[in-house]
Amino acid sequence: MRGLRAFLAKELLEIVRTWRIWVLPGIVLFLALGGPPLAMLTPRLLESFAGSQPGVVIEFPDPTYRDAYAQWVKNLTQIVVFAIVIMFGGLVNGEVRAGTAALVLTKPLARPAFVLAKFAAALALLVGSVALGAALTWGLTLAVFGQAPVGELARATALWLALGTLLLALMTLLSVLLRSQAAAAGVGLAVYFLLVILTVWEPAVRHTPAGLLAAPAQLAAGGAPPLAWPLATGALVSAAAVLAAMAAFRHQEL
Amino acid sequence: MTAAIEVQGLVKVFGRCRALDGVDLTVPAGSVFGFLGPNGSGKTTTLRILSGLARPSAGRARVFGRDVVGATNEVRADIGYLPDVPGYYGWMTAPEFLRFAGRLFGLSGRVLESRVEALLDLAGLRGVTSRVGGFSRGMKQRLGVAQALINAPRLLMLDEPTSALDPIGRKEVLDMIATVGGRATVFFSTHILADVERVCDTVAVLGAGRVLVQAPIGELKRRYHDGNLLLEVTDGADVLAARLAHEPWVTGLQRRGERTLVLTVTEMDVARRAVPAAVAEQGCGLVRLEAGEVSLEDVFVDLVGGGR
Repeated sequence: MRGLRAFLAKELLEIVRTWRIWVLPGIVLFLALGGPPLAMLTPRLLESFAGSQPGVVIEFPDPTYRDAYAQWVKNLTQIVVFAIVIMFGGLVNGEVRAGTAALVLTKPLARPAFVLAKFAAALALLVGSVALGAALTWGLTLAVFGQAPVGELARATALWLALGTLLLALMTLLSVLLRSQAAAAGVGLAVYFLLVILTVWEPAVRHTPAGLLAAPAQLAAGGAPPLAWPLATGALVSAAAVLAAMAAFRHQEL
Repeated sequence: MTAAIEVQGLVKVFGRCRALDGVDLTVPAGSVFGFLGPNGSGKTTTLRILSGLARPSAGRARVFGRDVVGATNEVRADIGYLPDVPGYYGWMTAPEFLRFAGRLFGLSGRVLESRVEALLDLAGLRGVTSRVGGFSRGMKQRLGVAQALINAPRLLMLDEPTSALDPIGRKEVLDMIATVGGRATVFFSTHILADVERVCDTVAVLGAGRVLVQAPIGELKRRYHDGNLLLEVTDGADVLAARLAHEPWVTGLQRRGERTLVLTVTEMDVARRAVPAAVAEQGCGLVRLEAGEVSLEDVFVDLVGGGR
């Protein structure tokens, strides 16, 4: 695909030079910073709150590193997901509206390469941010709980990244199909809530990407959720969404 | 020689609006070609199709003999294009943007650097270290022309490059276009007729989605606009006016004072010979006979004015 390398280099440089370097990594690192201390303090806070009520005694088990890991993954699913949907709703249509797409696509830059480069750079930002956040979570968990097995955190984080990649791929497609960032983000949120609703139906959890929503937290908590089908279908849908975005953009008038 | 641009029966429909209604156009290679038309006449749509940003509803468009539909990389490699409202990455500097544009054409190393340096000089942007986001409109347009030249294109297409610029900005961009004129075919759209008269050798006038006329500027002036002749005689202006009013090449006649007539004529060469003969025939003394200059604006208004 002609122009892919040059345009990908531009995308990566743009991330470093603009606000993008601060937003997603900032959110992720903020959540990583707060996760382990929150996991440590939450049971104590709840116990003291319950103890202030006459006649109420609630005892929580002592928190462990698994609570910190579960908090980390829960934060990713509940907060970072929305950041992805809102930020990347303008991934492609933002350049179309700004007129930069019209300027660069009259040069020998293949339109599929334009879309693929934008997706790849956004994915690099997502993976990099989450990897940094995971490393920070691990360090803080070790400091707070004295124990932090790398493998469990890495598996849960990698599994969440499969969900993040799926959402990013869907947002790439929506940002091609819809000319407005707000519209793309709105539809993206609707798709996400559809996935959430699907999680109440066991066959969907076992056999569709909806299974990727709860699985990372279950994995972080020491569970063994079904992974093969959710991962396989998630990867399939992600690839299909990116390919569809590339194909749709090829025929779009700018 | 293959024409730089050949357009045949180009149609573009947006919903119920027929933006282009069968455009036929040939841009000779090596020309500086002005694409004229009032706002909304279809200039930008034509350029967008030629640059591969839009697809025609019907008809054909070729650049150096290659079909632009699907805008193959071979076609794009020959074209430099500046849209009417160019969008830049505001976080880049001018040299960075030119390098990025060059890399999209596969340029690298010394070739790329030497072109970037030369184009920064041409655009008057050497030494400008601020980001493009802080550039004035004129600086952005000059950068726009420069980025369109990074691949040393055979065809430079500019969409309204001087609109919304102040006189100095306009002069700078027109100077750039004039400089390029000898090296590449330049095809630029505008509704600023003074710009066209200054740098173009050939024009096409677009109106209501069709090319109304295409010709070298001089020929267009001769062909499409009646000339004016100012005639002053010593006496007998009334008799002379009655005599000339019957000539088939006279389309208008006005009196200005006792001894002066203003003739509007279709064939200036014929009028220049016939009027002195008529003056002599009537026994009048000739004081002054002057041909009025016809501007491109006169031609333009004649062609598209009635349709607006």
